[in-house]
Amino acid sequence: MFGGLKEKLQAARDRLGSSIQGAEANQAPATDAIETATDAAAKKTVSPGAPTFADKVKVLVIDRELIVSEKDISDALSELEMTLLESDVALPVCDAIIARVRTSLIGKHRKIGRSVDALVVGALKSALLEVLGNGFNLVDYIKTHSRPVKILFTGVNGTGKTTTVAKIGAYLKKQGYTVVIGGGDTYRAGAIEQIGVHAERIGLKIIQHQEGADPSAVLFDSVQYAVSHKIDVVLADTAGRFHTKSNLMSQLEKIRRVMKPDLVVYVDEAVAGNDAVIRAAEFDRTVGADAIVLTKVDMDSRGGAAISIAHTIGKPLMFLGTGQRYEDIMLFEPAQVVEELLGSDS
Amino acid sequence: MADTTQPMTQSELMTLQHYLKEYGQQAEIFVSQLEMLENGRMEAFAAIETLQAMLSADDGIVLLQIGGGASVRAKVLEPDKILLSIGAEVVVERSNKDAAEFLKERIIEMEASQKNVAETLDRLRSQMNEINKRLESGYQQTVAAGQDQE
Repeated sequence: MFGGLKEKLQAARDRLGSSIQGAEANQAPATDAIETATDAAAKKTVSPGAPTFADKVKVLVIDRELIVSEKDISDALSELEMTLLESDVALPVCDAIIARVRTSLIGKHRKIGRSVDALVVGALKSALLEVLGNGFNLVDYIKTHSRPVKILFTGVNGTGKTTTVAKIGAYLKKQGYTVVIGGGDTYRAGAIEQIGVHAERIGLKIIQHQEGADPSAVLFDSVQYAVSHKIDVVLADTAGRFHTKSNLMSQLEKIRRVMKPDLVVYVDEAVAGNDAVIRAAEFDRTVGADAIVLTKVDMDSRGGAAISIAHTIGKPLMFLGTGQRYEDIMLFEPAQVVEELLGSDS
Repeated sequence: MADTTQPMTQSELMTLQHYLKEYGQQAEIFVSQLEMLENGRMEAFAAIETLQAMLSADDGIVLLQIGGGASVRAKVLEPDKILLSIGAEVVVERSNKDAAEFLKERIIEMEASQKNVAETLDRLRSQMNEINKRLESGYQQTVAAGQDQE
């Protein structure tokens, strides 16, 4: 997953580390010459933002530490910025990451001779965790809400919405929940059969009407079925649509009014990169979204959409689709993703 | 799946047909992704060639296509300053050599993605072949069973 980004981030991590190490080599020989300045300097406290010369002398001679300065890491940070942009990480997200890394590293005290790796990895990890948000645990959400929990899936065409509905259905069934699928995509040719086949394979009940029927009616019936049969979750599939199609967007608005979903989930493909981020923002603006699912993550080596989407639209990522099988879906856990990208601290 | 010694029922045959149709739709999506990647790759190759040609052209004159098969002779004032879209809708200025290097890296990425998509497509095709075989044998069994009854 995100092989290209992982490789580039590790190169950026090494570059940052060697920049800080290089600064140590430059500062250390000056120790003898500045020893006399230490008494006065030692009395001053070190300000984390912009260490003064006296601050540096104090920590270097008395504490045998170095303070990381802006100059030490500015080239490496520019390189990190390019790396992120080339990986399709949205510009505001990229700025947020750089700012966080800069704040974490500049003014940091480091014992001479100690590895800088942990320092750099720590800064990168906290920056990434900040932009990735907290994720969204669907099972926890279902546990704490009254049943049936109604989840409406929206998104553009061809991104894997129907397959995602099936995968989440299989996931929830495995977690011990009862699920009904609402076949609300009555527009696309073959969509009714497609979701029907999925439901049959997974062993889930599906509510469907004829092709061309009103999707609001199908999904209303699905909710009624769930209520009368005490089903835990309703997964409502809908036809793919672009946010620019006003008639389809007003249809979605009607579905929302009729079905009253607890969650609106936006589905898009990771391979769309920054386009997925822009579309998600548009959907959120027009119909709203509570969480996001990114599909085809296994085919996306850049990872830009996954890194940017939560920070850009301020809504959490819920699942990542990672393959063709029903079990190829993973709960989005930011700490796990960051661990995967950067490896361990040591 | 269905027992091969028993003739398949009508509904089993229909389910297999649905499977086949669904796999077919997925395969179409992957084929179009492969085409997009190939187009991107060819475009990058063409851009690298143009970048190199611009540097070697003494007078800096190139043919600029303006659409509809029409071109004009254009003089490139700064052939070593390339404005390059690096991703996330960000355009940066790079030297001619750096821009070509960037495009070469992009080509490698696209080739890796193509390999991924092609592997998935192969898996889908082999599953479709398998379903096709089952369908054919199912039809034959159904026809044979019908003839026995007559």
